[in-house]
Amino acid sequence: MSEFSQALSITSSGLQAQAQRLRHLSENIANADTPGYRRKTVSFEAALGGTGEAGAVRTGPVQLDRSDLERVYDPAHPLSGEDGHYEGSNVDLVIEIADAREAQRSYEANLKMFEQARQMSSRLLDLLRR
Amino acid sequence: MEISALAAARGYLDSRPATDPGPGSGGPAEAMAGVARDFAATLQEGEATAKAAMAGEADPHALVQALAQTELAVETAVTVRDKVVEAYQEILRMPV
Repeated sequence: MSEFSQALSITSSGLQAQAQRLRHLSENIANADTPGYRRKTVSFEAALGGTGEAGAVRTGPVQLDRSDLERVYDPAHPLSGEDGHYEGSNVDLVIEIADAREAQRSYEANLKMFEQARQMSSRLLDLLRR
Repeated sequence: MEISALAAARGYLDSRPATDPGPGSGGPAEAMAGVARDFAATLQEGEATAKAAMAGEADPHALVQALAQTELAVETAVTVRDKVVEAYQEILRMPV
């Protein structure tokens, strides 16, 4: 397994991890109005790559954000209690959008590295063709 | 004087095993066979991943990675083959 194919597999693990992160972010945004929903956070951890060498990344276990749920005043809501409040979700759309933008940028960086490794390997083989 | 010659001979004997080929390396033929096996395995993996992706089982990232690796392997094999054939033709053109 050459360095180039190792670079490809490590980059691919990064792409996969960022896609996973984006998936959980979209779950959070979709459930922003769900009463009692706690936002999910994704952690990254180093993993062994496909070749058994360290350097790849994978997503760790999904954790729930334990911060307080937002209390919404709506006496007509079926879930509202005695005081007319019910517990909404603790999703902050601004944070989710910022996080999504960061995931997108990291994804693009990984894609760039993928392209770079491919270009480098084909340039190397071009040397042989002359 | 004799002792130093003896020491030199012994030193030579001691250091000779370091230059012997190891038990695992069976020369260029073995190395080429290993490369060919690697190549076939990469191709097979790429095909298996493509099939799984068509069936909706594999991640698209895995598909792209497997195809890029297959492309890299095929390109390497083709380039080396071209070079070998070129060298062979060069030898055939030699005036005898």
